[in-house]
Amino acid sequence: MDTSNTPPATATPPVEDQRVWKAGRLEPMPIRKLPDAPPSVHILGPTVFLVALGVGMGESYMWPRLVLLFGPEIRWLFLIGVTLQAVVMLEMARYAMATGESIFSGAARVFKPLMWFFFIVAIAVYIWPGHLSAGAAAFEEITGIPWVVTAIAGLILVGVVFTLAKVIYNLLENVLSLLIGALVLGTAVVAAMVGSWGDVVTTISGMFSFGYLPPEAMSAAWFPVIVGACAFAGPSGMQQMWYTLHLRDSGAGMGVHQPKIRGLRHAGEEEERPNRGFMFDTEDPAEMAKWKGWRRWVTFDALLLFWGITMLVTISFTVIAQAAVRIDPAVRTAIQGDDREVALTAMSNAVSSAGSSVLGVVFLGFIALIGLNATLGLFDSFSRGQADMTYNFIPGAKKLGMSKLYAVFLWGVIIFGILILLFGPADGPSGILDTLAFLSTFAMGAYCVTLLLVNNRMLPKPIRPRWWSNLIIGFGAVFYLGMLFYSLFAYGVVVG
Amino acid sequence: MTGRHSLELALPGASIGAVAGAMAGGLTLLAGQSAGMAGLAALALATPLALFGGLYGMLLGHGVFRPGTFGPIGLYWMAAFPVSRLAQEILVPTGGLAEGAGPFLAYQAMISLGFAIGFLWMHERIMPQWLVRRAGDNPLAGELLQKYLRFARIVRARKSARKGGR
Repeated sequence: MDTSNTPPATATPPVEDQRVWKAGRLEPMPIRKLPDAPPSVHILGPTVFLVALGVGMGESYMWPRLVLLFGPEIRWLFLIGVTLQAVVMLEMARYAMATGESIFSGAARVFKPLMWFFFIVAIAVYIWPGHLSAGAAAFEEITGIPWVVTAIAGLILVGVVFTLAKVIYNLLENVLSLLIGALVLGTAVVAAMVGSWGDVVTTISGMFSFGYLPPEAMSAAWFPVIVGACAFAGPSGMQQMWYTLHLRDSGAGMGVHQPKIRGLRHAGEEEERPNRGFMFDTEDPAEMAKWKGWRRWVTFDALLLFWGITMLVTISFTVIAQAAVRIDPAVRTAIQGDDREVALTAMSNAVSSAGSSVLGVVFLGFIALIGLNATLGLFDSFSRGQADMTYNFIPGAKKLGMSKLYAVFLWGVIIFGILILLFGPADGPSGILDTLAFLSTFAMGAYCVTLLLVNNRMLPKPIRPRWWSNLIIGFGAVFYLGMLFYSLFAYGVVVG
Repeated sequence: MTGRHSLELALPGASIGAVAGAMAGGLTLLAGQSAGMAGLAALALATPLALFGGLYGMLLGHGVFRPGTFGPIGLYWMAAFPVSRLAQEILVPTGGLAEGAGPFLAYQAMISLGFAIGFLWMHERIMPQWLVRRAGDNPLAGELLQKYLRFARIVRARKSARKGGR
C-alpha cells in the first residue's frame, strides 16, 4: 500500500494533523501521536478477556478426555494449538494497537465481503446458547436447580448488567478479573492437592511427543474429535478477532483515540465516534520506540497470562482427570462416551469418593465458573463485534449510535437464546456445541489468512510482521483448514 | 507503630492467602476424615499461605518488590508455596509425600507459578483499594499508594488523550 505521508515542508506542528495513512479503499487514517506504553510490565490487560473466553471446554474437558483415551503423548497437538494462538494474539494486537481499529475493519480495508463473511459466521456460530449448558449443568449437579432455569436466569442477568453499566469495559474487566483470579488460585490449589509429580511428568513430557498419533485416533470416530479439540486449544472461533475490540476499547496503542462503548442506560452520553482508526508516524524514531514498548507489553500478556494460564488450567485439569481414573477406573468408560455432562459428573464423583464431597463440589464449581466467564465474555464480545461492523459499514446505522447497536445485538442474542432453550432442538446441549465446531474451526483458518493480508498490506512497512511470524500464521491457516478438510474428505465427518 | 503500619500492609495478601488456603483445606479430607481433621487441614495450609501472603505485602511496602511485576513474585511463591504445602503435609498428612519429598516439592514448585499469577492478579485488584482507605493514618501505606498513583497517572494521561475523553 502506498502512503501519502508527505513530509511537512516546515516543522510546524499543525502540519502533522494533515498527514494520513492510506490503507485499502476505505477512508485514510490520520496520523496521530502514539501514547506511551504502560511504564512497567503490569499484570492487568485486556488479555483477561481472552483468558476468560479461552479457558473453557477445551481445557477442562476435551483435552483431559483425549489424554485419558490416547495417553499424554497426544498433548503435543495441544502445545502446537496454544502456541499458535499466542502468535495469533500478538498479530491481532499488532493491527489493533497500530490503528485503533478492529480486525473486522482491517478485513474490510482488504476486501469488504471478507468482513461480511465474519459477520455472518459470528451470527451462525454464536447465537446458539450451547456454551451455557456445561456451566449450567454443573450448577444443576451442585444445587439441583434445572439447568434450563439457570441458563435463562444467567442470560437475563447478563443482559441487565450490561445494559445498566456506565462504561461496559470497566465493569467487565473488574468482574472477569476477580472470577479469573479465583479460578487460577483455585485451580492451582486443587492441582496441588490431588496431583503428583508423576502425573505432571507424563503430562508435560507428552507435550513433546511430536507426531504421535495412535492408529485408533486416525478413525472416523476419533479424528474429528481431535480436530475439534485442536480448535478448542485456547481461544476458539472468533474470540481472537474480538480481542482486537477489547484492545481498542481499553485504549491500548492507538485505541486511545477511540471513545468507549457505554451501556444502553448511558447511551446518551456517548462521545462522537470516528468511523476509521489512526496511524502513528512510523518514520519517527521516538514513535517507533513507543511502539516497541507496546509490543513488549502485549508480548508479556501473550506469554505469561495467556499461554501460562491456559497451560496451567489444562495441565491441572488433566492431572485431576488422571487422578479420577486412578481412583475409579469406571471414569474412563464414562469419558470415552460422547456425553460431556456424564463425563464431568463421573470425574466429579470419582474425586468426591476419594476425598470429600467438598472436592467434587469444588470441581463442578470450577466448571460452572468457567461457564459463567465464557457466557459473560461471549455475549459482550459478540455484541461488540457485530455492533462495530454494523456501525461502520451499514448505511444509516450511525444514527442509532454504537451503544444502542450494542444493546440491539445483546438483547437479540439473549432473546433468541431463551427461545432456543425453551423450544429449541431437543437433541440436548452437547449437540449444539458440535455443530458450532465446524464453522468455528473454519473461521479460525479464515482469520489466519485475513491476518496475513491485513498486517502485510494495510500497515506501514516498519511495523509489518517479521517473516517468521508470517510463517507461523500461514502454518495456522494450513493447520486448521487442512485438518478440517482432511477430516471431511477422509472420513466424511466434520468436527467432533 | 511502624510495626503496626507494616502489618496493615500485610492484610490484603494475608487475606488472599488465607482464603486460598481455606479453599484448599476443604479438599484435603482424603479417605473420609472427620470435620475436625478437615478444619485442621484447612488451617494447616491457610496459616502459612496467609503468612507468606502478608509478608509479600510488607515487603512491597518496604520497596523490596515493585507493584505488579511478575518475575520476583513468581520466585517468591516458588519457595513459599512448596514450604506451605510441606508444612500442611507434615501437620495433616494426606499422602502427598508418598513419592518422596523431592518429587513432592518439585511438583508443588511448578504449581506455585500458577498460584503466583492468581495471587498477584487478586492482590493488584485489592491492594490499591485498601491503600486508599489507610493512606491517611499510615505513612507506609501513603508511600505505597503514591507508587500506584504514579502508574495510574501515566495510564490516565494516556486515556485523557482520547478524543472527547472524560
